[in-house]
Amino acid sequence: MTRVVCESGVELLIDYLEGVLPADVNAALEAHVAGCERCAAFVASYQATPRILRDATTMTLPPDIEASLRAFLRARTDAFQN
Amino acid sequence: MTVPTVEPSDETLAAHAAAGDTSAFETIVTRYQARVFRLACRLTSETDASDVLQETFLQIYRHLPSFRGDSQFGTWVYRIAVNAALMHRRAARRRPADSLEMFLPQFDGDGTHAATPAELRVVSQADEQLDREAVAAKARDAIARLPDIYRDAFVLRDLEEMPTARVAQMLGVDPAAVRQRVHRARLMLRGYLSHLLGEKR
Repeated sequence: MTRVVCESGVELLIDYLEGVLPADVNAALEAHVAGCERCAAFVASYQATPRILRDATTMTLPPDIEASLRAFLRARTDAFQN
Repeated sequence: MTVPTVEPSDETLAAHAAAGDTSAFETIVTRYQARVFRLACRLTSETDASDVLQETFLQIYRHLPSFRGDSQFGTWVYRIAVNAALMHRRAARRRPADSLEMFLPQFDGDGTHAATPAELRVVSQADEQLDREAVAAKARDAIARLPDIYRDAFVLRDLEEMPTARVAQMLGVDPAAVRQRVHRARLMLRGYLSHLLGEKR
């Protein structure tokens, strides 16, 4: 039987979330997290992290950079000539 | 009677552009420019993203005739954009960044989380923060502070939301290595956010 503590559980998290853990390890991790308030809190914040970073980096293309792109391609290709 | 306009597929546009139809190429640029720009910002910086954007579409223009259609056009575009960003970053010589290692989770001697549940939970309550734009700005800075191999895997897997297998293909490593790198990046960024949002360490 695989024994999971917080520290070893953390190292299994991504494989768990991607569904690539062996069944027995998967079960051991779930059993630990179900009984560990710290790990439940950690998992929630671990899963929130990518979303926060994604929201923070959803830049829109500024009009001046779009204009430079067109000028650049006009000078070097046959496109955007009109 | 109006005939519904059907947007041509990427593959159709690519074939026309490869045959010299410049308006098809222009449509490709319009369709992908925002996505390429966002990816370039994530892999380089907002300052460098404009150069990466230009280089990407120049490469696409030049290499369109060799696009064979054995991969999806979008994947092909992404691969060119990723390569352009990595080349640019290599040439730019980054200043050494402060390490995020100090934000990795801490454990007691028996392997139990050292922080309390309330401290560990802080990041999942980030939406309740008043100053979200300030947090976002620091978050962008933190991505740039990741070691490159973690940053690349994290950007493609978690920010661009590509499947792990495709990220592995694009970076030329196996899926287990991608997962390991993404995991390290998530741990460091989680800890950093946690620190920002007030977890006491």
